[in-house]
Amino acid sequence: MRHYEIVFMVHPDQSEQVPGMVERYTQAIEKDGGKVHRLEDWGRRQLAYTINKVHKAHYVLMNVEASAEAIDELTTNFRYNDAVLRNMIIRCDEAVTEESPILKAEKESRERRGRGDRSDRGERGDRERPREEQAKPASADAEAGE
Amino acid sequence: MARFFRRRKFCRFTAEGVDQIDYKDLDTLKAYVSETGKIVPSRITGTKAKYQRQLSTAIKRARYLALLPYSDSHK
Repeated sequence: MRHYEIVFMVHPDQSEQVPGMVERYTQAIEKDGGKVHRLEDWGRRQLAYTINKVHKAHYVLMNVEASAEAIDELTTNFRYNDAVLRNMIIRCDEAVTEESPILKAEKESRERRGRGDRSDRGERGDRERPREEQAKPASADAEAGE
Repeated sequence: MARFFRRRKFCRFTAEGVDQIDYKDLDTLKAYVSETGKIVPSRITGTKAKYQRQLSTAIKRARYLALLPYSDSHK
């Protein structure tokens, strides 16, 4: 038994299938004594670049403890499932259970923009980030200098 | 000749005692890629070699999952 971190991206048109897929994969993993330690649904996210002419994808993150056979089964499953745009399976040293930074950031931004309209959300995020980037190293340097 | 006072570079990850750089931590990763999406060399950022290696795998994983762009010319 090993620990793995699995991320897979589902075609946005097939988003409704996600709960079913997660259910199936969980069962496949738990069937031979595996365990799901963390399960996160990041929802539909904007992609940094288009994949197969798609701009958005539904992301799911799973941290599991599973046998090699279960993981093999999962990879073939991903390969032959047309709804899965991309997947990544990483071997980990231990079970990770705390919330991932992505989900955290998403929750925060949702709280902050709870009252604002959502239509300009993508635009704003793009514009704000580069500025923060430039500001951050400079201020960090200043602190170190003192 | 004017002497430039260069601020001392330091490794953020060493200072914070980071165990493993997470490819999902986009705010951190974004500080280490240029505007064109390239990874910033450690001689510029002052990141220690151990962490620069982790950083590069983290950024490459994030790129694969389309969390970060490979370049600025994606269409």
